[in-house]
Amino acid sequence: MTADKIAANKMLQRMIVDFTTTELAPLDMIIDKNQDYPEGLFQKVVDNGLLGMTLPREFGGAGFDFIAAAEALNHMAKGNASMAVTLEGHFKTVEQFLKYGTDELNQKYLPTATKRIFAFSQTEASGGSNPAGISTRAVKQGDNWVITGDKIMITNGGLAEVYCVLAKTEDDQMAVFVVDQDMPGFSFGKREDFIGLRGTPVGEIVMDHIVVPSYHLLGTVGEGHDIGNNAHDDARVLMGAVLTGILEHELQIAIDYTKQRKALDTPLYELQIIQEKLTDIAIAKQNTKLLYEDGARNKVAGEPYSEVAAMAKSYGSRAAVSAGDKALQILAGYGYSREYPIEHLIRDARAMEIAEGTVEKMNMEISLKEVNK
Amino acid sequence: MKIVVCIKQVPVGDVKIDPKTNNLARSNVEGDINTYDRNAIEAALQLKEQAGGEVILLSMGPDSYMSSLRDGLAMGTDSAVLMSSRAFGGADTLATAYTLSEGIKKIGGVDLILFGRQSVDADTGQVGPIVAEDLNIPQITFAEGVELHDDNVLVGTRLLDNSVQEVKVTLPAVLTVRAEMNKPRYETPLNIQTSFEKPVTVWSEKDLDLDESRIGQAGSPTIVRKVYSPDKAAKQIEMLPQNAAAAVTKLLTELNN
Ligand SMILES: Cc1cc2nc3c(=O)[nH]c(=O)nc-3n(C[C@H](O)[C@H](O)[C@H](O)COP(=O)(O)OP(=O)(O)OC[C@H]3O[C@@H](n4cnc5c(N)ncnc54)[C@H](O)[C@@H]3O)c2cc1C
Repeated sequence: MTADKIAANKMLQRMIVDFTTTELAPLDMIIDKNQDYPEGLFQKVVDNGLLGMTLPREFGGAGFDFIAAAEALNHMAKGNASMAVTLEGHFKTVEQFLKYGTDELNQKYLPTATKRIFAFSQTEASGGSNPAGISTRAVKQGDNWVITGDKIMITNGGLAEVYCVLAKTEDDQMAVFVVDQDMPGFSFGKREDFIGLRGTPVGEIVMDHIVVPSYHLLGTVGEGHDIGNNAHDDARVLMGAVLTGILEHELQIAIDYTKQRKALDTPLYELQIIQEKLTDIAIAKQNTKLLYEDGARNKVAGEPYSEVAAMAKSYGSRAAVSAGDKALQILAGYGYSREYPIEHLIRDARAMEIAEGTVEKMNMEISLKEVNK
Repeated sequence: MKIVVCIKQVPVGDVKIDPKTNNLARSNVEGDINTYDRNAIEAALQLKEQAGGEVILLSMGPDSYMSSLRDGLAMGTDSAVLMSSRAFGGADTLATAYTLSEGIKKIGGVDLILFGRQSVDADTGQVGPIVAEDLNIPQITFAEGVELHDDNVLVGTRLLDNSVQEVKVTLPAVLTVRAEMNKPRYETPLNIQTSFEKPVTVWSEKDLDLDESRIGQAGSPTIVRKVYSPDKAAKQIEMLPQNAAAAVTKLLTELNN
C-alpha cells in the first residue's frame, strides 16, 4: 500500500468515527425504540457521501477498497448497528454490479449509487435457505424480460430504489435482474416488525409483470446461484465487521460498568468471576475482527474468501449474542432493563444468525469445504 | 472571491513543555488542525458557495503539517501552500504573522483572509490581527457571523464577552472565526481521496523576498521566561443553607469572622 493510501484510509476511519460519535451513537436507543431512522438522518449519510465509499471513482464514488469499507462498518456499528447494516446491504449489492454487470448496465446504474440505495433480494415467503424453490419468474419477450414475483425480508426494502432480484427463467435456470422502483408494476409490500436492527428497514417488494430491457440481466442466465452466493460472501465479511462493532460496544459497556460498580468495596472488575466474562467478550471481539479482516484482505487480494466469510458471520453472530448475554449479566438488573442498550445489542446481533444465510447453512458450507480440502 | 484560510496544526492529547526552550514540545506528537481553523475553513467554503471563487489553505510549519493541510483539503478547499523551512523555525506570533503575510502577498489578489479565533495550544489569538496590520487591511476578530454584501463589502458579527458588535469592512480584510459561527463539515470519502490530488505548494524562505531579520527565531522578540501549570490550590466552597433566614445568618457570621 502506498503512503497516500494508508493516509487516506486513516482519514476515512477518523471521519466515520467522528460521524458515528456525533450523528449516530446519540440516537442509537431512539432508533431501536422508534423502529426507524429519525427524519433527515439517512439523508445525512447520503449527503456525506457514505453510499459511494466503495464505488470506483469512474462512477463518481470514492473508490475505497473492501478492507477500508469493512473497517468503516466496524466503527459505525459500535455506535449504531442498524445504519451499518443499511450500508452493508448497499455495498454488497454494488459489489455484484462491479463483478457481474455489463458496461451498459453499470454505466446506467452505478453513477446513481452515491444517492440511491441498492438492495439484493433472494428470499421469498417459501423460504430463504433454499433459493432453488423460488417462484419469481422471468419470461423473455423479444428484447425484454418480464419479471413477476414477490420478494420478502429485503434489507433496506422500501428505502432502497434499485433491486437485484433472483428469478427463474422458463427453462428453470437461475438469473438475477435489476429492477427499479420507478418501473411500472413495481410496488412495496409490508415492512417486517423485526426484533433487532430495528432501524434497518427490512421489507417486501411486489413485481407485477415488470418489463426490463435485456441488459438489466446481471451476469448470465444460469449464473443466478453464483451471484447470490457471491453476494452472501461479501455480505458475510461486512456483517463480521458489524458484529465486531457490536462486540466492541458490548465490551465497552461492560468495562465501564465494572469500573464504576462495586461489590461492597471491591470494583466488579477485580472479581475473577467477572474478569472471566470480560475476557470471553474481549476474545470473541478479537476473533471476529480477525476473521472479517482476513475475509476482506483475501477478497481484495483475489484469493478465495467464501469460507472465512462464513466463519466471520457464523462465529461472530453467535459470539456477539453470547457476549451480550454475559455483558447483560454483569449489569444484572440494569442490563435487563430497556434503559440500557445491552438488550438491544443482543437483538441486533441475533439478526445476523439468520440474515445472509442461517448459521446452519453456513456451517454446512464450512464443514463441506473442510472435508473436501 | 479568493479566500485564504491560515491554519495551524496543534498537538493532540497531552503535550509536555520543553524544559530547554520553555515552549511546547511539539515534535513526535500527533497533530490535528486547530479546531477553530476548521470553523474558518467552513466559513470560507460557505462564502465560496455563495460568491464563487477559490479557497486556498496557508500554513507555516514543518513537513508534518502536511497531514493537516490534507484534512483541510478533504473538507473541500481547493489548494494549499505550506511555508516550510528551518529558517522559519522558532517563530513567535510576530514572525509567524510576518511570514504568513508575505505568503499571502505572494499568492496575490487575495480578497479575504480567515483565521480561527486562536490556536488551542498557544491560545494567543494574535496572528490574525498582526497579519491584518502587516498587510495594512481591516480586521474583524472573534466573528460569530459573517455576511457578504455586494462584491467587496463584508459584515462580521463579533461576539464579545458582554456584547455583540457588527463591523462592516471593505475587502480585502482579515476575519478571525469563533466556533459559534458554524459546524464544520465532515471530510467526505470522495473529498478525502481528491485531497491527495489537489495542488500543494511548498515555499521556503528562498521562494520569497523576505526580510531575514523578521523571520524565525531572529524575528521573534518574545522570550518565554517560564511556563507552568496554574496552582491548583484547593479553594474551599461552602454552600449556604437553602432557608433564606438561615442563609443570611450564616453569611453575616462568616463575614464578621
Ligand atoms: C435482518 C434480516 C435481513 C435480511 N435481508 C435479506 C435480504 O436483503 N435479501 C434477502 O434475500 N433475504 C434477506 N433476509 C432473509 C434471510 O436471508 C432468510 O431469512 C434466511 O435465508 C433464512 O430463510 P427463512 O427465514 O425462509 O428460513 P428457512 O429457509 O425456512 O429455514 C428454516 C430453518 O431451517 C434451516 N434450514 C433450511 N434449509 C436448510 C438446509 N438446506 N440445510 C440445513 N438447514 C436448513 C434453517 O437454517 C432454519 O433454521 C433477511 C433476514 C433478516 C432477519
